[in-house]
Amino acid sequence: MTWLDAHWLTLILFVPTAGAIILLVLPLRTEKSLRGLALFFSLIPLVLTLALWARFAAAPSVDGFRFVERVDWYSAIGSSYHLGIDGLSLPLVLLTTLLTPLALLASSSIKENLKAYLVLFLLLETGMLGVFLALDLLLFFVFWEVGLVPMYFLISQWGGANRHYAALKFILYTMGGSLGLLLAIQVMGLSSGTFDLVALFQRWPALARLDLPLGLSMSTVKAIAFWAFVIAFAIKVPIWPFHTWLPDAHTEAPTAGSMILAGVLLKLGGYGFIRLVLPLFPNEAQQFAPWLAALAVAAIIFGALGALAQQDFKRLVAYSSINHMGFVVLGVAAAALTWRAVDAQTRLDANLALNGAILQMFNHGLSAAGMFFLVGVIYDRAHTRDLQAFGGLYAILPVYGTMLIFTAMASLGLPGLGGFVSEFLVVRGAWPQLMLATALSMIGLFFTGAYILKALRLVLHGPLNPRWQNVLTDMNTLELVVILPLIGLSLLTGLWPAWILGMINQAIVTFF
Amino acid sequence: MIPLSWYLTFSAVLFSIGLFTVLARRHAIVILMGIELMLNAVNINLLAFWHYWSQVRGAPQVNGMVFVAMVFVLAAAETAVALALIISAYRRHHTVVVDEMTLLKG
Amino acid sequence: MPFETLIWLLPLPPLLAFFLIITFAYRRNSLSHGLAIGAVGLSWLGSMFVFWRALQSEHLAEHPWSAVLNWIPTGDTWFQIGVQADPLTVVTLFFVAWTILMIFIYSVGYHNYGQPRGVHDRPGLPPQGAEVKDAHGHHHRVPSIEPMYARFFALVSLFAFAMYLLVVSDNLLTLYIGWEVMGVCSYLLIGFWYAKESARNAAVKAFLTTRIGDVFMLLGLAALYALTGSLNYRAILGNPQVLEILASTISPVAGLSWAALIGLLLFAGTVGKSAQFPLHVWLPDAMEGPTPVSAMIHAATMVSAGVYLMIRFFPLLSAGWMPGEPLTPPMVAMAFIGAFTALFAATIGLAQRDIKRVLAYSTISQLGYMIAALGIGAYVAATFHLVTHAFFKALLFLASGSVIHGMEHGVYHTDEHVDPQDMFNMGGLRHKMPVTFWTFLVGGLSLAGFPLITAGFWSKDEILTAAFQSNLPVFITLGVAALLTAFYTMRQLTLVFLGQPRTAAAAQAQESRLVMTIPLVVLAIFALAAGWVGIPASFPLVGGILPNWFEAFVGSMLGHVGEADHLIFTPTPLLVSILASLGGLFLGWWVYQSQRDRVQDVLAKPLGGLYRLWQNKYYIDELYQLVFIRPALWVADVFTYHWLDRKIIDGVLHGIGRLGLAIGHGFREFIDRPLINGAGDAVADGTHEVGARLRILQPGRLQVYLLIALVGILIIGLVLFSIGMV
Repeated sequence: MTWLDAHWLTLILFVPTAGAIILLVLPLRTEKSLRGLALFFSLIPLVLTLALWARFAAAPSVDGFRFVERVDWYSAIGSSYHLGIDGLSLPLVLLTTLLTPLALLASSSIKENLKAYLVLFLLLETGMLGVFLALDLLLFFVFWEVGLVPMYFLISQWGGANRHYAALKFILYTMGGSLGLLLAIQVMGLSSGTFDLVALFQRWPALARLDLPLGLSMSTVKAIAFWAFVIAFAIKVPIWPFHTWLPDAHTEAPTAGSMILAGVLLKLGGYGFIRLVLPLFPNEAQQFAPWLAALAVAAIIFGALGALAQQDFKRLVAYSSINHMGFVVLGVAAAALTWRAVDAQTRLDANLALNGAILQMFNHGLSAAGMFFLVGVIYDRAHTRDLQAFGGLYAILPVYGTMLIFTAMASLGLPGLGGFVSEFLVVRGAWPQLMLATALSMIGLFFTGAYILKALRLVLHGPLNPRWQNVLTDMNTLELVVILPLIGLSLLTGLWPAWILGMINQAIVTFF
Repeated sequence: MIPLSWYLTFSAVLFSIGLFTVLARRHAIVILMGIELMLNAVNINLLAFWHYWSQVRGAPQVNGMVFVAMVFVLAAAETAVALALIISAYRRHHTVVVDEMTLLKG
Repeated sequence: MPFETLIWLLPLPPLLAFFLIITFAYRRNSLSHGLAIGAVGLSWLGSMFVFWRALQSEHLAEHPWSAVLNWIPTGDTWFQIGVQADPLTVVTLFFVAWTILMIFIYSVGYHNYGQPRGVHDRPGLPPQGAEVKDAHGHHHRVPSIEPMYARFFALVSLFAFAMYLLVVSDNLLTLYIGWEVMGVCSYLLIGFWYAKESARNAAVKAFLTTRIGDVFMLLGLAALYALTGSLNYRAILGNPQVLEILASTISPVAGLSWAALIGLLLFAGTVGKSAQFPLHVWLPDAMEGPTPVSAMIHAATMVSAGVYLMIRFFPLLSAGWMPGEPLTPPMVAMAFIGAFTALFAATIGLAQRDIKRVLAYSTISQLGYMIAALGIGAYVAATFHLVTHAFFKALLFLASGSVIHGMEHGVYHTDEHVDPQDMFNMGGLRHKMPVTFWTFLVGGLSLAGFPLITAGFWSKDEILTAAFQSNLPVFITLGVAALLTAFYTMRQLTLVFLGQPRTAAAAQAQESRLVMTIPLVVLAIFALAAGWVGIPASFPLVGGILPNWFEAFVGSMLGHVGEADHLIFTPTPLLVSILASLGGLFLGWWVYQSQRDRVQDVLAKPLGGLYRLWQNKYYIDELYQLVFIRPALWVADVFTYHWLDRKIIDGVLHGIGRLGLAIGHGFREFIDRPLINGAGDAVADGTHEVGARLRILQPGRLQVYLLIALVGILIIGLVLFSIGMV
């Protein structure tokens, strides 16, 4: 095994950090060189990820994970620098490494404090990747928190008018959620004697007696820890009713920040559910799955209705994230309900639901990032996001209009594009167990159509608002470079989902 | 042979004069002179004891001489520093009367 | 190349054309229509080849051509998609291929290819006409080319792809993909002239109304897949054991069997797509799109897709049912909704003025016929009517487009500002537009079911016969609907073509170009001849001259010979059919031959309130607005956003924030300030006090210090002396 093979993940993880440091110390003055260098450092992880994808099947597997790295970190408390990747995390890693360069390309309207902006962005990438790659609970938590700080500054420094309120709401809310997570992690780590996830997967669910002087029964402790995990991740996803930070943060964040926020940061929550909550708390998850499903349905329905009510284009897209991520949680709830069932048919249901949930995260990453980007494109030109202020723009922006319709359709879950496959799988997997919830989620699916069409109708169609005549210009090449990969991947996933579902499925199969 | 007690009495008188000078006079240089007196009183004491001790032992001893030499050196050095300080203080305050220099008054 | 591969290839050329046009040819008109027509031409060729092969093969229903492909990994297995060609597919392919090809060719003329660009034409609006100067220096206004010509062909190509995909797919999932892609294309095409307020609203309405049905259908898909582990037709519909199990297990909903529940869910999809009551409201508004689009969506493809789905899933819908027994719940629903829609839409059609809207309501009505036919178990009859209806309705739409074109020509010529789609502005066009007239007549008579020679007669008669034998209320409803159909068809024919022109524009109308009229002629041939393949053998006089090929071919899908009792001839339905047709036609002519007024319909006064009710479509749009749309918007805006999110959830959050601030404030005011700060201050104050008192010892005078030191030493010395340490 070569050095590269042994340190592949570390390289992916820390190249952005290295880039950030280099960017910080090099006395670069021109805007172009700064952007170029940052882009370069964000492209390296992408290339590495693609190469890793190509070599994934050939790499040896350790406990179901590949490209594993392990170095002692805090040996006294049994925590180590343990990285690994499997079919569950790889699509999300790809999503992260893909969206970061695209987001950097989408930042051309950022002029002030550019260097700090780029450095924060690269640090953000490391934070996000770390969550997906960590196989140690403590390490997971560290990266979980690391991602928050750059995002806070991105919103509060480069955001819109109400940015300070939004940034504060974002960071307080997420931090508040992670407090319980930290406590639960400590209880688990101390009582099991290790923070290593692979070991915890075996030990923690089987643990019957607690060595800590808490004075609580084991089942109570587990239930409390379960809810601590769930609330932390629920805030991040976000699940109704923990969602109100999201429209504010998305609306106020700069375009690229919204892309990453919707594209990747929300997925951290979903990933947490699947990677940690399901294997660590199978019994509790099974017990509380109906509640989770109810919240998911609430997110789907109220997210869609909330989006329908918006007059601000970006806020509408922000609400759509709540709606779409609801399907992820619905899939998780369905899988939790049927976790490791004896019956092969039921296991298949859970498998499909989880496949769908993960694919939904990937697809939503593509479509939401695309939508936010397109909102940014029009905002850069028109300096307004008020839907009523647009109208008939298709006539003067044919390329933009086509891209917007395409992305909106991907977001709507049009068959033939990615979103449909994942929504279908979730619905299919959830139906046998959660029939009522699935049926109710259809209300949300209907209103998804309603708000998407509302946006298209008000922005593109109708009589042209004369104020934009000869004012707006169509998308330029740089902007097409950002949006086309997103559309292309969405189309590819819709037409031939096996390219990514094969990867996801092989990981999920080992779960059951 | 003058008895030891005479020397001691003399030295005590000398020391008391020096002490009085230090406590009672207001001129800084005079105070310095008082200090010199006190040092020399000590020197006399030392020499007297040295002499006495040599006789008791029956063989000449050197430690007393060394002490005295050290005190001389010290006195010279001290005087030099003290005079420099006094001059410096004079330049600043245009006085060498110690009662008028009360910067440290609490 | 294996034959199955050809079936795979059928949908692909239009898809390829779509991508090529939007990437390379979006500014080049001739290239775009060349690509589009070439692509559907290829698909047409392939379809004809498949059809020809199917005619020669035996037992196609039992052993359809099929090919599958692994598509989605599901645990240890794969979800497979694939294509198949059985008799139903082949028959559908036949009419789909023909109508699509004709519509594509027609579109070239309809969008004024070869005409100059209009000065005032804008993307998003219909072309307004252009000024040209002829050789003599005279100015003429002529039609101008559509500004978004290439976009039209791109979108209809995608539409054609979706329809082909739907037809050739061998499973419900790919069918659903085609179904939804068509939905989006119809949205984009209805809103093709998006700058028109009415068009953009109609587009949204069409998409959302059909989506109501689609989400139910998606549930049906999920349920079917979950129960049977497959969505493949042969695995479910071709397997009596699966159907048996589905029909005998009880679902948790209202005591229905699973087969019935899934059937009803799928039927909901059809209700939306095929515009059945109560989701029919989108289809008349969809006339906002260009006429070829109306023909495509309302005749050949999209609305047929709903009926096709029902025909395809007839074994599931009727699982557990045998002819003569009580109908299954989905069949009851279909019979009821279909028959009701047939009559209901026909009445609205009586009072419409727009030439395309009449056809739209007639489409709804005819689709109701097919659904009702399936509901009473007349499988072959429904399929037959689907085929014939596709031909004659496509013909009628295209011919009406030709009429509109002719009228527009008259409008340009006379500069008279009249609505070229309002039938009351027409009249006497038979002389001006002979080809259009004759083909429209063929289509109209076929729709009205003119006896013996038209295709519509044979298919409608078959439905009525089946209805008469199984369900009398349905028969009566459909019979009345047939009368009304003939009536409004003749009303249309009379108003448009007969009599004298009622406007100057109509007097100046002109026949359309060959590129438009040739497709009309081709479709007219099918509108007559398509019926001859399905003449019942027991029919008096003409029965048995031609073999009833259709019955044998499509009927083989069910494994037995179609509608069992067909061999016995009963005169009642035939008489009803002929009477309704001829009577309706006569009445329509008799009433409207006297129409002279451009504004007032001659029937408006005698019918009074009823006429207004029909003209306003029973006020259903207004009702929906009041009952569904406004409350939904209220729930979204006021309840969800303002109350739930802003007031309650954010209120709780801000409350928590304020509580935190209040606690912090409390700590500061009651603990920090008085206790902690107070203690610190006390220590400092004490120190200060002591210092102030001790300052007397620090006079700053050297000799005082020395004196103090001396006294100190003396005291220490005395103390030490007194305790005997010295």
